Amino acid sequence: MTTDLNQFPQLDKTKFEQRGIQLEIGVPVTCAVSIGNYIAAGFGDGTIRIFSSGEKHKTLKAHKGVILCMAKDGDNILTGGDDGYFLKISLNGEINEVTNFGSRWVDHVAAHNGNLVCSSGKVVYYWDKNKKEPKSLNHDSTIGGLAFDAKGRRLAVSRYGGVTVWKKDYSNKWKSTKLDWKGSHNKVSFSPDGKYLVTSMQENVLRCWRLKDKLDFAMSGYGSKVKSFAFIDDTSYLATSGAIDAICWPFDGEGPMGRKPICLPYIGNKQVTFIEPFPDEKAIFAGLSDGSVFLSQIENENNTIIIRSFTGSEVSAIAMTDDKSSIFIGDMSGNTLWTSIWDQ
Amino acid sequence: MENKHQVPVTVLTGFLGAGKTTLLNRILTEQHGQKYAVIVNEFGEQGIDNDLVVDADEEVFEMNNGCICCTVRGDLIRILSGLMKRADKLDAIIVETTGLADPAPVAQTFFVDQDVANKTKLDAIVTVADAVHLSSQIEDHHEAEEQIAFGDVILLNKIDLVKDENIDVVTKRIRKINPFAKIIKTTKCGAPLKEILNLDAFSLKRILEVEPDFLESDHDHEHDDDVTSLSFVSDKPLDMEKFQNWFGKLLQTKGQDIMRTKGILDFKGENDRYVFQGVHMLMDASPMGKWPDDKERSSRLVFIGRNLETMNLKEGFEACKSE
Repeated sequence: MTTDLNQFPQLDKTKFEQRGIQLEIGVPVTCAVSIGNYIAAGFGDGTIRIFSSGEKHKTLKAHKGVILCMAKDGDNILTGGDDGYFLKISLNGEINEVTNFGSRWVDHVAAHNGNLVCSSGKVVYYWDKNKKEPKSLNHDSTIGGLAFDAKGRRLAVSRYGGVTVWKKDYSNKWKSTKLDWKGSHNKVSFSPDGKYLVTSMQENVLRCWRLKDKLDFAMSGYGSKVKSFAFIDDTSYLATSGAIDAICWPFDGEGPMGRKPICLPYIGNKQVTFIEPFPDEKAIFAGLSDGSVFLSQIENENNTIIIRSFTGSEVSAIAMTDDKSSIFIGDMSGNTLWTSIWDQ
Repeated sequence: MENKHQVPVTVLTGFLGAGKTTLLNRILTEQHGQKYAVIVNEFGEQGIDNDLVVDADEEVFEMNNGCICCTVRGDLIRILSGLMKRADKLDAIIVETTGLADPAPVAQTFFVDQDVANKTKLDAIVTVADAVHLSSQIEDHHEAEEQIAFGDVILLNKIDLVKDENIDVVTKRIRKINPFAKIIKTTKCGAPLKEILNLDAFSLKRILEVEPDFLESDHDHEHDDDVTSLSFVSDKPLDMEKFQNWFGKLLQTKGQDIMRTKGILDFKGENDRYVFQGVHMLMDASPMGKWPDDKERSSRLVFIGRNLETMNLKEGFEACKSE
């Protein structure tokens, strides 16, 4: 798995591009998730494309407008759109409406073990898998992100002024605790070990809470907003976009406080715009603002290979199949690459 | 590298009942061959049903950057980023603000948020004013005054219901607050859309083209908290360093009271014209090419805001003139 980086920036196709399938859809790729060995990708015109190896991809018309968010629910795809629909879609193309908010956008969706959530404006709607009607969880400001913890017991809701963490108590009533920090919080995630909660903010900074004692701290120094981050190899690292390097904060042991991040540089000094973990490895896919995508080992910056070359458009989605055989890459101009990772 | 096509965004403001919804309905229904998205307030006057209408909740928040003026519209950042993912490209976006909202956070969002600034640009602030009620609204509500102060275009609406001499009175009142806005007199907001949208009023180039009322003005004082304007002209070149010191400090300390500034500056030893414009503390400035041969070089500067008379603006400006 090595490519001579000195050849860059010649616009030769990478071997992944040569053997993969490249499409020019012409509308932004907004999201992608893996479902088993399938990848579902959402687009700005409301279509979904489902990729699997050995088959031609399938195109579904799901929403009337932009697909704003996507999650997986077992073997199904959940999507929210600017047409106000929250949909559940099976891999063979069956589309079911979970709900419809009319002119209000469905901004975020998530699922755990058959329980579904979405947010629209300031309200989170929670569908218990055994119930038809959702429970509404209200907040004072518009919701910036949603995330379950690994066990699905806690639901984090980021918003202006911090995060609300919802949990059902023993009598099955929803209880919330608040983690406050001034400012607007967007994407939110629990660490896989459940010890930390991280948000990316409207400013060029991440905020983190250690949940056992609510100690909070910032991870800063970014040149732009951190729009994408992911925990790597369980809770070994938090890899983040928002700089010309992929910034990887160590989360093992006592966590990142007082420790320096590892900065993985890429050729061309372009901003990193998307981060996707390579499952179970200390390795990441980093997508850049010029459309190029690299795979790097965090603890060995020399071990970086180029997966996709320059397209001129910001990488907005990367997803790898669960068997780690293939990846999907999409950008804001609708250029996509679907390719196997391993040499035959 | 990336093609920087920025969708123009018009901010539509004005008091309840002035005619904003009439204008929005025109924008959405007229056969103009353009694709416009309209971001309306959730408590808007009446429902407009259209796929291109987005509900917003006017969530204003402060940036954590220590600048007290940096309030921005969080909902707008989210909505604009969503609209930029659409398959069909928009020709323009119109943001309606409620009658009581301060338009400054909307304008500031375009200066402060990098993603918003990359993909969209503030085109103009359009204020719809009710010719019948404006005078009393200005007396009773500081928001009405502020909306006039921020406007690049003011649609003086419902003039069919007002006598000519009263229109003159209202127009003079507007001019006193805002000398550079273009005033369009309308009934039922019937101005051609090309006079309202895609004006590029925030581009520095436009400041050179639109000759505002740069007449040197003396402040005549009525109420302490009135929004007024002051302008200054100098035929003597300015000292760049002195000006930067004075103006920087002024915006830093008085930026909350200074709502808008615009100016064209002639610096000693510089061949280029310098053009700037600001909203509160945030400013955009750039050299704009050489002075035209047929034009006298001079520096002109306009302030719109509150308590301007306490800021010693005249003295400050005079002191910037080169030796």
